Amino acid sequence: MVTRRGFLKGGGLALLGVGLMGGIPGFLAEAAANDRIVRPYQRRKVLVCIFQRGAMDGLMAVTPFTDTYLQTARPTLFISGAKAGNTRPLIDLDGKWGLHPSMQSFEPLYKDKRLAIVHGIGSPNHTRSHFDAQDYMESGTPFNKGTSSGWLNRAVGLLGHDALTPFTAVSLTSALPRCFYGDNPSVAISNLQDFGIRMRGNPSAAGKVASSFEELYDQTSPGLLKETGKESFEAMKMLQKTNTRNYRPDNNAVYPNSPLGNSLKQIAQLIKMDVGLEIAFTESNGWDTHFNQGAADGIFARNVADLSNSITAFWTDLSAYQDDVTVMTMTEFGRTVRQNGTGGTDHGRASCNFILGNDVNGGIVHGRVETLAVETLEDGRDLAVTTDFRAVFSEVADKHLQLGNDSLLFPDWNGSKIGVMT
Amino acid sequence: MALPILAGAIVLSSFLSEKRPHRFPYREAGLTERQAAAHLISRFTYGATPGQVDEVIKMGLEKWFRQQLDATLPDDSLQAMLDQYDALKLSNAQIAGTFPKNGQVIRMAIRDGYVDKDSVKTDRKAYRDILKKYMDEKGYRPEQELFRQLYCQKILRAAYSQNQLKEVMTNFWFNHFNVSITKNDCAEFIPAYERDVIRPGSLGRFADLLKATAHSPAMLYYLDNFSSSGPVDSTRPMQKPRKAQGLNENYARELMELHTLGVDGGYTQEDVTQAAKVLTGWTVRQGDFLFAPQRHDGSGKLVLGKRFGPDGGYEEGEQLLDMLAHHPSTAHFISRKIAIRFVSDDPPATLVNKMTKTFKDKDGDIREVLLTMVSAPEFWSSAAIREKTKSPFELAMGAVRSLRAHVNQPFQLYNWVTRMGEKMYFYQAPTGFPDKGQFWINTGSLLNRMNFGLALATGRIPGLSFDLAVLNNNHEPESAQAALETYCRIIMPERDLDQTIRRLTPMLTDPTEARVVGIIIGSPEYQRR
Repeated sequence: MVTRRGFLKGGGLALLGVGLMGGIPGFLAEAAANDRIVRPYQRRKVLVCIFQRGAMDGLMAVTPFTDTYLQTARPTLFISGAKAGNTRPLIDLDGKWGLHPSMQSFEPLYKDKRLAIVHGIGSPNHTRSHFDAQDYMESGTPFNKGTSSGWLNRAVGLLGHDALTPFTAVSLTSALPRCFYGDNPSVAISNLQDFGIRMRGNPSAAGKVASSFEELYDQTSPGLLKETGKESFEAMKMLQKTNTRNYRPDNNAVYPNSPLGNSLKQIAQLIKMDVGLEIAFTESNGWDTHFNQGAADGIFARNVADLSNSITAFWTDLSAYQDDVTVMTMTEFGRTVRQNGTGGTDHGRASCNFILGNDVNGGIVHGRVETLAVETLEDGRDLAVTTDFRAVFSEVADKHLQLGNDSLLFPDWNGSKIGVMT
Repeated sequence: MALPILAGAIVLSSFLSEKRPHRFPYREAGLTERQAAAHLISRFTYGATPGQVDEVIKMGLEKWFRQQLDATLPDDSLQAMLDQYDALKLSNAQIAGTFPKNGQVIRMAIRDGYVDKDSVKTDRKAYRDILKKYMDEKGYRPEQELFRQLYCQKILRAAYSQNQLKEVMTNFWFNHFNVSITKNDCAEFIPAYERDVIRPGSLGRFADLLKATAHSPAMLYYLDNFSSSGPVDSTRPMQKPRKAQGLNENYARELMELHTLGVDGGYTQEDVTQAAKVLTGWTVRQGDFLFAPQRHDGSGKLVLGKRFGPDGGYEEGEQLLDMLAHHPSTAHFISRKIAIRFVSDDPPATLVNKMTKTFKDKDGDIREVLLTMVSAPEFWSSAAIREKTKSPFELAMGAVRSLRAHVNQPFQLYNWVTRMGEKMYFYQAPTGFPDKGQFWINTGSLLNRMNFGLALATGRIPGLSFDLAVLNNNHEPESAQAALETYCRIIMPERDLDQTIRRLTPMLTDPTEARVVGIIIGSPEYQRR
């Protein structure tokens, strides 16, 4: 219980004769002494997951635009592949699939084969409740509510080494998300700037108070509080080395000034700081479009613009790190094929997701989507789930992070991979 | 209202006549009476108030504890504070009529012609203004307000109730039978769930509490049993996906795994399926429990070797809950969980066995189980003293009580507790928050605990006030050093504070009492209970 993190094993900094005075962060120095790590400063692979809460209309994000059934089912929501008047047409990917016009920043990534799309992805559990479907997608056990851990927390346990730093798994959210529940170290941080001792309007006092606290925790009896105290102050100093407030993204990347844009910007900072980040999570809201979701413009268009522009900015900002980073989106289910009476769509089944990375089998719309005739639809109304989300999540996490144990990552699942990674 | 109290008093008098050890066995564990009193208070309240150790000693530890088990001390001043929260007294039906869900409001506004359906969500400002006007005119209020009242009452009760153990147990059982605001369908039923199901049952018989949760709309929605039904005609095509379609095992599974037997309690998947069939037809109508016979699976079932039905109807469910409540695995599972809450994250098996025996012998009487626990030497052993880590809520409430602070805006504390890692009423999984130090203490949350101490002590939490001089009986400490020692002892009675005081002494070059108090609250010693 006391030795929950590997970098604290072996008695602390004193054994090494180096401390923060030497300018090397303690936990990295410690990591160097840990024989399981060959090269302590070796960058690690990072998986970034984005949960689109509310259920994204996959058929509007990535549209099978030659399907006349869809066109009939969505008199005002269907966006054409052909330019007509002032409305923007879909971005034709391959003669069958069209990307929403507000996702134009994704087009070069797709053409460059770094961005893959999986269509018809969803859960084997037919629930159309946001809560249940999100819960199942985050626990990774679509038929079991009581699973205490989340799949990303289990992924931390499968990294093959103890967590090297407090930042191994970070969720940029105010509370720990369901997918992070569990015994492996993970932390929720709503804002990097808040990660420290704060005395508003009195930074010099804050510094003094911080060192008092540091000493108190250092002197307390061995155990959880002492260890975590030590980690906390080292982590804080780590972040203080970088000016997180006035961060300037590389390559003139421009993040949307949105919650998602800001979260991804902070994840990019953590990656560049080399603080040991391996699994990052954040979320995007507003996808539950029952009312007037719009077509080429409107609510949905703004949402996908934010999603694609945030991810693209992140990718541009991280150009020197792209080999190490893979981004994956997820959403709890899709929406009805037919538009409803209030210009929107209701809860459906399958949706699509996006995976971006240099080890991704990109430039392809993976999965299987039948023509949207009523008889091919699930329950006569929804895009059928043809790819289990676990097939995709496990392949991406497994390949990118080298986890190597699907049965622990997704218990009760033994399906096959679909080739979304190279 | 008078009846249950009367019944409680009768039960208690018989219970007081039981032969029990005259004294709690703390001397045998090497504790002084003062240390024992401090330990007792730290485990069964939200924190000692200044002078409380003396009060408990004066009354006698055993008598104080029984008074807490009885939980009938007057709470008039708390009640006066709670009176400002008008939603706390509403029934589920009244809540539904007053605090409609956001999606419902939109649909009603369209129906009533206030909002043109083509404008919904397009022009945000104008649309929001119309919705607000609509709600004002109809007397509807935002659901957020309901939840805010729920958070605030919890905070005020924990801070000020005389019946502290009842509040601690309410928190324990809510977490054991967890439901979550994150599940929209069950959210509106949560205030009544805590008020009518959890709090009244928190010191009663386990079987009664279990049955009350099984009948509650909050639980029936949270674990989907409201939708569970016997076989339906699956050849019929669906126009809309019906929520009420077929068997749903979620509640039956968690009933066994989390509420009663425990994961190793000796049941199989087949038992889960069969139990789910027993409970088909247990649903909700208009905010109340309803048994719908036409939805009940009439076939014969076999759960843990016991037969139910065929055609036993509602009674089958009652019998199932009775059987589970009285199963030996349940006695052990619940006893251990109580010991984890009150003794240590890994309580000794000898203690759990004693509690399990009482649970079985006394028909799951929770007060008897608690009394057995406190009467056992294990409760007082050095392995238990300060072994528990305060949850963020316990830390915040403890600080309020340590300083006798006035809380005028409880919601501010709710936000701090969230920041420290315990978003109350929002834990998504039916497991409830894990009751172990490792869950609460991580880098981010620990720094926020320190920040909380500083913010509170330096007056940066709006609506929260306290008077350090009054705490010290209006004596001004004669020096900064004296202030440090005085406040350390007031805030953390009966601890070995030499080290904390020694460490804090250099701070006194820049003395503000408030800052010192903030550091005490953020100190490692104060995180323990």
